[in-house]
Amino acid sequence: MQELVEYNLVTQAPIIATGLSRSFGTGDNAIKAVDGVDLEVHQGEIFGFLGPNGAGKSTTVRMLTTLLKPSAGTAFVAGYDVVKDADKVRRSIGVALQDAAIDPLMTGRELLTLQAVLYGLSKVAGKNRGEELLERVGLTAAADRRVGTYSGGMRRRLDLALSLVHEPTVLFLDEPTTGLDPMSRLTLWEEVKRLNAGGTTVLLTTQYLEEADQLADRIAIIDHGHIVRQGAPRELKALVGSPTLSISVASSETDEARSILARFGDLRPTSEGTLGVGLARGAEDVAAVIRALDEAGLKVRHLELDEPSLDDVFAEATGYRLEGADAANKPTESEAAPEEKKSRRGRK
Amino acid sequence: MSVSIADPKMMASSSSARSLLRHTFVLTRRSVVGRLRQPAVLAPAFIFPLFFAALGSASFNKLASDPYFTANIATSFMNYAVAGAVLQGVLFGSTSAAGDLATDIEQGFFERLLASPISRTAIVLGRLAASMVVAVVQVVIFMAIFVVAGARIESGPIGFIGLIGGGALLALAMSAMMAGLAIKSGSPEVVQGAFPLVFVLMFLSSAFFPRHYMKGWYRTVADWNPLSHIVEGMQGFMNHELSASQFAKSWLIPFVLAVIGIAFALRALNNRLAAS
Repeated sequence: MQELVEYNLVTQAPIIATGLSRSFGTGDNAIKAVDGVDLEVHQGEIFGFLGPNGAGKSTTVRMLTTLLKPSAGTAFVAGYDVVKDADKVRRSIGVALQDAAIDPLMTGRELLTLQAVLYGLSKVAGKNRGEELLERVGLTAAADRRVGTYSGGMRRRLDLALSLVHEPTVLFLDEPTTGLDPMSRLTLWEEVKRLNAGGTTVLLTTQYLEEADQLADRIAIIDHGHIVRQGAPRELKALVGSPTLSISVASSETDEARSILARFGDLRPTSEGTLGVGLARGAEDVAAVIRALDEAGLKVRHLELDEPSLDDVFAEATGYRLEGADAANKPTESEAAPEEKKSRRGRK
Repeated sequence: MSVSIADPKMMASSSSARSLLRHTFVLTRRSVVGRLRQPAVLAPAFIFPLFFAALGSASFNKLASDPYFTANIATSFMNYAVAGAVLQGVLFGSTSAAGDLATDIEQGFFERLLASPISRTAIVLGRLAASMVVAVVQVVIFMAIFVVAGARIESGPIGFIGLIGGGALLALAMSAMMAGLAIKSGSPEVVQGAFPLVFVLMFLSSAFFPRHYMKGWYRTVADWNPLSHIVEGMQGFMNHELSASQFAKSWLIPFVLAVIGIAFALRALNNRLAAS
């Protein structure tokens, strides 16, 4: 309790992590999944944790939700230490984990009743809360069907309802829309927004740029266990600054085209088969680039100008793109940002 | 200024012990309902023991004409076969229950439970209690079938209760050991893989054939096999007047095994939690 009082005197932030790290394995085989994460999620915001598979998002969430003990660092959630006061943290938060199954043999209503008992609600309160949540996530009609018959979207909505049974003030959603069709994804986004409007602080992990852009007040980009950027999406995009011009040319002309593009700004990673440049003087350089390519006798097959996106922020921070990225697309050492090169060397 | 948590008015005030009981009860109910909703998994625990009993009765019925058998072991082979069927059914059922626990771990439901403020012990106790409930139902159903087929409980109603209690305690012991394996491995395949070993142990006991007629190493193994003594305690209820030795064999031995099994399961749980 003393810790809670001290914590509240300093900050209202419901999630604070300092130097949070987690390694798996020992000795030479140790893998550092999360390495010194500093995080502060403010009261009432939606915080997006963005990164590719294996970046450390889920490991961080598992530490914050007490499912995994940190190897180093500290974290406070809802005012409680995730290690020393794990039970109090569990009582205060709602968790919908990507890989936490919902028992397919039980009905939606039965699972809500079970969850209510586990969180200490009385029988009547649990029943009422269950009905309210079923209605809220649009599952009243399916409440008495076994979960095994639910679609993916219905399961995720039930998962969300289960995480809300005890009216948590902090909600963790681990990749809540992964694998869902666009319609189900929109439905879930709306529900998350409604929850947040009601005052719930939400930390959601995602590998979808659009999801982070649409939902999050602030985001943190995590790559190889490190947070490489943190801030409001608009601010982060503004930091990248210039728009990206993407072109595609014949593969035999790629090297020459790359050297021409480099005269107009910094080369940026793009999707496979295209070259990208951040235009230093903005869109007004487009005509000059086309002229330069034309004078060199290069035929441009495709040209596209994009204002900075979160993908640009991600690419600028990590050296590769999150969307459409594969191993072949990741930049060579010479193309990668100096910060990334340094960081990668440091991890070897 | 304070960080609010769930509305305290909605929380039922309860002590840790009450919470443990409440959590164990709801998880027991979940396990039992889950078993009932998987008839394909539940059926072998009922069908195979009856099949083996029928097979044994047809094959070894001549034993009933041996004066030693009728004087010291059983009034009929049908009466002899009851305890073996109960033992077999309970072992089948307990393995399935542990398999369900391993499935929970593998598929993530276990993690969902860990993310809630539930007593960790309740996760294991719920499964064990469910095994006992299913075992009680199994014994009652088996008894009903065998009585219709001509079996008689020589020790009367208390012997019937003795059989039910023995079955429940054996289910507790067996499911605790298998639950320990399930928690340690987190793999339903490992649990299922261990079942043949249990089956062999059962065949190397007096579940299907009296020890008196065994020879050599087979007899030695059966003498040392605790399942022999448990099943003979149960056979005692079916075939002899009530005696303390019947309870000692069919209740005390499974009870001791259950204590060891529960300790193993809880240790496995602690190790799994400590490793995370």
